[in-house]
Amino acid sequence: MKRKILALLGGTLLSGMAMAGGYQVNLASQRQIGMGHTGTGLLTGTSSIFFNPGAMSHLGYSGITIGGSALVSKIAYSAPESGGVTARTDNPLGTPFQVYGVYNINEKFSAGLGVYTPFGSTVEWGNEWSGRFGLNQLKLQAIYVQPTLSYAITDKLGIGAGLTYVVGSVNLQRSLPVEGQNGAEGAIELDGSAEPAFGFNAGIFYQATEKLSIGLNYRSQVDLKVEGGDVMFSNIPAGARSNFPEGTSFNAELPMPSTLSLGVGFKPTEQLTLAADVSYVGWDAYETLRFDFSQNVAGRPSSEAARNYDNAFIYRIGAEYNVAEGLALRAGAYLDKTPVQEGYLTPETPDADSRGLSAGIGYSISDNFSIDASFLYINKKERTDASNLSSGIGGTYKSVAYIPGLGLNFKF
Amino acid sequence: MKKFFYKSSTLALFAAVLLSSCDPEIDTPSSSAGEADFAKYVAVGNSLTAGYSDGGLSRAGQLSSYPAIMAEQFQEVGGGEFAQPLFTEEQRNGSGYLRLAGFTPQGSPITANVTENLAIRSLSPRLYTKYLEPISNLAVPDIKVADVKTAGYGSTQGNPYFERITPDNNTSQTYLQRVQAADHTFFSMWIGNNDVLAYATSGGAFSGGMLNSPARSITPTAVFDANYSELITALTAEGQKGVLATIPNVMALPFFTTVGPSVKQTLAANNIPGFVALTGSGNSRIQVAAEQINAAQNGVYIPLTAAAYAPLLGQPTGRYWRDLARQVSPSQDAAVVRLTLGGLLLNFQIDTTAMFGLSALNPLPSALLLDNTERQLVQATTEAFNDIIKAQANARGLALFDANTYFNSILGGFSANGVNYSPAFITGNLFSLDGVHPTPRGYAIVANEMIKAINTKYNARVPQTDITQYDAVRFP
Repeated sequence: MKRKILALLGGTLLSGMAMAGGYQVNLASQRQIGMGHTGTGLLTGTSSIFFNPGAMSHLGYSGITIGGSALVSKIAYSAPESGGVTARTDNPLGTPFQVYGVYNINEKFSAGLGVYTPFGSTVEWGNEWSGRFGLNQLKLQAIYVQPTLSYAITDKLGIGAGLTYVVGSVNLQRSLPVEGQNGAEGAIELDGSAEPAFGFNAGIFYQATEKLSIGLNYRSQVDLKVEGGDVMFSNIPAGARSNFPEGTSFNAELPMPSTLSLGVGFKPTEQLTLAADVSYVGWDAYETLRFDFSQNVAGRPSSEAARNYDNAFIYRIGAEYNVAEGLALRAGAYLDKTPVQEGYLTPETPDADSRGLSAGIGYSISDNFSIDASFLYINKKERTDASNLSSGIGGTYKSVAYIPGLGLNFKF
Repeated sequence: MKKFFYKSSTLALFAAVLLSSCDPEIDTPSSSAGEADFAKYVAVGNSLTAGYSDGGLSRAGQLSSYPAIMAEQFQEVGGGEFAQPLFTEEQRNGSGYLRLAGFTPQGSPITANVTENLAIRSLSPRLYTKYLEPISNLAVPDIKVADVKTAGYGSTQGNPYFERITPDNNTSQTYLQRVQAADHTFFSMWIGNNDVLAYATSGGAFSGGMLNSPARSITPTAVFDANYSELITALTAEGQKGVLATIPNVMALPFFTTVGPSVKQTLAANNIPGFVALTGSGNSRIQVAAEQINAAQNGVYIPLTAAAYAPLLGQPTGRYWRDLARQVSPSQDAAVVRLTLGGLLLNFQIDTTAMFGLSALNPLPSALLLDNTERQLVQATTEAFNDIIKAQANARGLALFDANTYFNSILGGFSANGVNYSPAFITGNLFSLDGVHPTPRGYAIVANEMIKAINTKYNARVPQTDITQYDAVRFP
């Protein structure tokens, strides 16, 4: 089953472009995207598998959710003290997705399986911009598969936990500052799949009163390791080829950081749900981006650049209003503080504090079938950085993203 | 209800498409010329200003000369066309130049001469295809400040690069007169390097004595001062603004720093504490300690021209003298060359059967070493010339690119756009295969530095160029 899902998804879908802090992609549920991606302190439906497995046992039904987003992101670049040298990314459409299935075993227990993409990045600068020796393009994918169990201790208190099985891959391309007689520049491509890795996602949900609910959730850090990834060189002039040997492979490691979230839900009326979340992301696990080569590349056995991310907070608020029977309108906003410190900005993740504004609509076509549509606009603060500590490309970066999404929910 | 849903989803889709076309924008301050007028820009200088690279001047080099790059940036703020005496496409390799042909097993670069598609119209005297259209880049490779008032410098007996742009009916026109005739609103002038560099690159070997060559002697400071002043007077006759540049210290050039370390290594490996060399233009010998090579104190520098001879240290050889004899001999007739060689060996008291560089009987030739005394003279002269240049910039209110300070500041290397730069030969990306002239990339960096100086002085906002669009050293 698991393998089938993976084959299905891996073949057709790409993970999202990093449009949250760092390379996190917070697009786990179409309903919750509409509500500013809150949900730790709510019964979010099947997506509680992601937001808070502790809430899953309180769901009271079995169901399946399938959803996805179309992520259009754009980044502009301007070189330091220039005005004359600019660039723009030509990022392909990102398609982060989610599939959740929950089976309500009895009043106390429910089991579920979730497949989602909480990390990833696709940035394409091309091979002509002034920072091409730093990066042409990066594609980072991580797919989480999470079997989950939830137990309702009382009708107010629930706990739940899931094992996350994580697969991923990385592809990084950059130009090399070595030219042949015809002026063509060399290039390097690093391509590898991560060894499957494991983590967990656990949460507690407490329905304090009829109106107030609270949740706490922790998603553990998962380190993705690539071993024996391919290093491919192109356009290397013969005179420099010994510096860029064929058949080189690489090892690398990238942390998918932990996230601790606290959320509250409040229903002042039957129609209105308000939610607020605070998340603390353990980005300090990302200290360096290091590639170890099987043989010297450009005279060095490895390539290492400091990242030294800082832990960061995300603040979210969201609301849902049931306009009429079966029709809900949603809105939300969030502030996602950047983990990237001064001096460490890179073209692979030209991160800055992100402001997200979202809207959504939910409509029940029948008792068993409903649709959620969401739209999220992300605007990252314009950021100027010397990038002198990260071997990055100094300058000013500005990113925006437009993310429409659609989800289908089936209840049994 | 369904209707409502479809309507709103269509609306959402429409909104998504609409918003997708909204690109992020970065507000950059708009460019401006400030107090400067770039309408007609003229460049005065030597090989550096001409775009000379890899030991020659080619069309590609001309197209990426720093004045050409600056002129392109000036066009953003009202600058006009900038005409250069370009070699034609058919004669694109101009004077010919060096290309990298490969590496020895030890990793030393092998260069080869590019000999096709040249613009040479006469081999002796060497002359290039004429270019008599109006030009804005008045640079003449090899020119010294000392030469600017020399009548006949543009004749067939003068400088072939100046001859190339001098009308046949006006061969007595001096370079100063040519500059005086320029019609411009802005200028750059980077000149004076050869007034000290020609001495330094030849290790002071031709400044007097049997092989005396005024072209390779140091210009007297008074002459430099007077001529430099006249050039600026000509360029600022109508109150024009401009930028001057100082002369970089020779120690910043890979020409002087590349060969030394391997010699030092060889000596150390054989437990040899030092070597014997000729100093200046005469036959007096000096003893040089190995640790003096490229040292901060009492440093001596071995020029790139010594690369072919350095491996012969300790062997009985007369190869340098045979090569020199062929060069300076009035004829290539074998007997005449032999006679010249005999004269050289006698004058410098050389016994080619003695150990090269290690015996006082066969010392390292003066031209293959910038010794401590010569280096001190070069440095003092560079400082004196630079003081004159800075004083002129100050007195006349001109912008100044302090190339000396700049190139000293990057001795340890720097990183830009994810590329490492340093004054290291070939691998440093800044200097071309002759070890003296920048690569096109190096010239682009110079252009940006000059633009910075101009922007500061004239409150202008001339945008910088993308240096990565210009080549560094091309590999075979």
